[in-house]
Amino acid sequence: MSFIGFVLSAVAVASALGVVIFRNPLTSAFSLIINLLAMAGLYAAMGAHFLAVTQVVVYAGAIMVLVLFVLMLLNLKFESKRRFGIFRTAVAVAAGVLMFATIVPPIMAHFDTLSTFTLSENMTKSEGSVKAIGTELYGRYMVQFELSSLVLLIGVVGAVMLAKRKTSQIGPRDGAAGGAQ
Amino acid sequence: MNDSRLALVVLAPLIGAVLTYILGKSSQKISGVIASAAVIVSFLCVGSLWAELPTAGSFGVTLSSWLSFGGISLPLELYFDKLSAVMCLVVTGIGALIHIYSIGYMAEDESRPRFFSYLNLFIAAMLVLVLGKSLPTIFIGWEGVGLCSYLLIGFWYTNPEFASAGRKAFVMNRIGDVGFIVAMAVLYHSCGSLDITVLGKPEILARIPAELGFIAGIALFVAATGKSAQLPLFTWLPDAMAGPTPVSALIHAATMVTAGVYLMARMHGVVELDSAVPAVILWTALATSAIAAIIAMSQNDIKKVLAYSTVSQLGFMFIAVGVGAYGFALFHVVTHAFFKACLFLSAGSVIHGCHHEQDMRRMGGLAKSMPLTCFAYGVSTIAIAGIPPFSGYFSKHGILDAIPLTGNSYLQPWLGVIGLIATGITVLTAFYMFRSFILTFMGEYRGHEHPHEAPMVMTAPVLMLAVLAVVGGAFLSPIFLPYLTGPLPKVAHHAATHPGILGYILGSLPALVGIAAAFWLFLISPAAKEFFRKVFLPVGKLSEGKFFVDEIYEISVLTPLQKVSNVSGRIIDQSFFLGGGEALGKISRALGELTARVTTGQVGTYVLFMFCAAALFVYFFLPVR
Amino acid sequence: MEPVISYIGLSALLFTIGGIGLCLRRNAIVLFMCVEMMLNAVNLAFVTFSKLVGNLDGQVAVFFVMVIAAAESAIGLAIILSVFRSVASIETTDSAELKW
Repeated sequence: MSFIGFVLSAVAVASALGVVIFRNPLTSAFSLIINLLAMAGLYAAMGAHFLAVTQVVVYAGAIMVLVLFVLMLLNLKFESKRRFGIFRTAVAVAAGVLMFATIVPPIMAHFDTLSTFTLSENMTKSEGSVKAIGTELYGRYMVQFELSSLVLLIGVVGAVMLAKRKTSQIGPRDGAAGGAQ
Repeated sequence: MNDSRLALVVLAPLIGAVLTYILGKSSQKISGVIASAAVIVSFLCVGSLWAELPTAGSFGVTLSSWLSFGGISLPLELYFDKLSAVMCLVVTGIGALIHIYSIGYMAEDESRPRFFSYLNLFIAAMLVLVLGKSLPTIFIGWEGVGLCSYLLIGFWYTNPEFASAGRKAFVMNRIGDVGFIVAMAVLYHSCGSLDITVLGKPEILARIPAELGFIAGIALFVAATGKSAQLPLFTWLPDAMAGPTPVSALIHAATMVTAGVYLMARMHGVVELDSAVPAVILWTALATSAIAAIIAMSQNDIKKVLAYSTVSQLGFMFIAVGVGAYGFALFHVVTHAFFKACLFLSAGSVIHGCHHEQDMRRMGGLAKSMPLTCFAYGVSTIAIAGIPPFSGYFSKHGILDAIPLTGNSYLQPWLGVIGLIATGITVLTAFYMFRSFILTFMGEYRGHEHPHEAPMVMTAPVLMLAVLAVVGGAFLSPIFLPYLTGPLPKVAHHAATHPGILGYILGSLPALVGIAAAFWLFLISPAAKEFFRKVFLPVGKLSEGKFFVDEIYEISVLTPLQKVSNVSGRIIDQSFFLGGGEALGKISRALGELTARVTTGQVGTYVLFMFCAAALFVYFFLPVR
Repeated sequence: MEPVISYIGLSALLFTIGGIGLCLRRNAIVLFMCVEMMLNAVNLAFVTFSKLVGNLDGQVAVFFVMVIAAAESAIGLAIILSVFRSVASIETTDSAELKW
């Protein structure tokens, strides 16, 4: 594994653990941003330039800004002291380990020896460029692409509807009273 | 020859049935017209096919493949030959007249669309019955007419008595169906086919072993007794008079009850495998015919008289079957359809005109107020009594003449007795039919209503049937039997007998005796009637009690069954099924309350479940390992 | 030379961490972030396989996943907001109305 690949992978895993472990949601959010940027780096290293840029703009940019904005709006600093019990933690971790241990070995057995590629070699290739992806999107995936715009439109309308419905509400826990208006 | 017109014959009434049913209340006015048109279309198709029959030989059409598995394939096929042609012409022709009549008869009923829908469905089922190429296809029609008769007899289902009459017909028919199924099983087992054209071949029938041949023949006859109301399954037919009168005319005079005769004629090869079977048929038919005729003498309900008369005449047809004179059985089916449909429809007009009065003791003298109906009823009565040249004479005396010609060794020694009883039945028929005519149309009016003649839409079909009842026999007599030479055996043998003028006079003698007796007892000398009533007291009691067949069923079948059900109901149902069911319910309820705890409403818990399930799913089902 | 398995393994690891976080956290926004992380893990696998096979279908799929993620974040955050309005909390343990 090349140096770049190793560093980016390590950063991704560490920040992912940070998302899960940090008790302050704000810290978690920043961890996630780091995680997403590391992923963008990996995409770029693999030659998927367009996806790398999109990852930064859409995920690390737009979506995470939205998340942070909501966090600020709600003004929540710490998660409450209440935690799930040790039993539950054990079950969840066991399930996770089981899943990981089941997925990886067969793939290893089938692909490890079969194929390898070099990150540095791919960096220069143009097969993940905007042009290449654009040709695909507006060619074979035309209909799906147009439909995805419809999905986004519906998402926007739905978000507006959900957020707008209770503007008259004064405070929390008054849903029943405020909703009558 | 393949012809899609044949499919239309069946489909037209079927479409009519669906159409009138779907249109429902919105088709109050036109439902009768739609239904009648459907049957008339069917009739015209049959007519055009019939006209081409001499050149084509037979028609066939495959509607669809119904069942196909293993080595068995059962296509839904229709088959049209001379025998089916005769039945189809009767069914659609008389059916159409009855449909038209119904427009007038049911004019004031709210649920006319339902009525006409059932009527059309009935015609369709009956056509499937007579056109079916294989026994299973015939069985569809067989069950179809059974269902429709149930629906139509119980048409006024709000009256519990009528509804139970419908049920009775249904159950009695089911008993006969068992016979049909047994016969199909035996035939398929031995011959490997249920196709009627295959089963008509002697070399195929030769494969049936002797003991199975008897079973197959008897099973077919059991099927026929259910449908054609023979002893011991005849009690449903008189009760079935609960339905509207056109229904009685259609089902119980012209079509459904003759299905048994058709089956016998179609399967004559099977029936005659063992000569004991025709003997059984003959004696059963003779008993049925005689008992029904005796019961008919004491009935006061005009429709009941006709009902028992139908049973009696059906017995006559089966006498013909028993002696092997299938041609005359079919001929009697046709002439009987003419005059009995006419009688039923006239009776319907009388009932309609007397404001739903059916008791003949409150009628009388109706000749003045409804002359057309009186005329139709009168000629039909003469026809059924058997006076030449009216139609009934030819078929009836054909049967009487055919009795000595039978080659059945079981029957040979008894020919004299059989002939005597059959002639006696002819006398009784003439007697009770003229009794009903005299009570209804002659003498003084004994009711309190103001009887009136039926409207044109009702009298026209009745008069057409009356014309057929008068001339049909004489017209068909020379051509009918030779026509059926192909599909039926020995008809030429029977057709050869031609009575001279003396024969006609002698032949009408029994009927004249009956008629004279009726006039003497009921019109001229009431004192003599009292005298005879005293003399024949036991017979009269039997007759009025309808030979207590219903009561015998009650004691021998119903009461024990009820007792057993009561006991089993108390012990098995209460303790075992109810208790067990309750315990099951309690267990599942407890389990449910237990598992309900799982749904805490906590998203976190659900996610945990989902994640664990996903992990396990991957573990167990990931294809590469 | 990079063995493909290292990136697939990374993808599986991130997916698992996200899943465990999903089970163990109770803040709705953190849960949301965990879901995003799992989606990203899958994206990584897509891109890797795309490289491996040598066509762009995997990358196009990633693009569509991003579109869905964007729509999902808009709706999800709006739902979290309206839940907060009625319960005054975004902790999943505080809104447990939907049960027997």
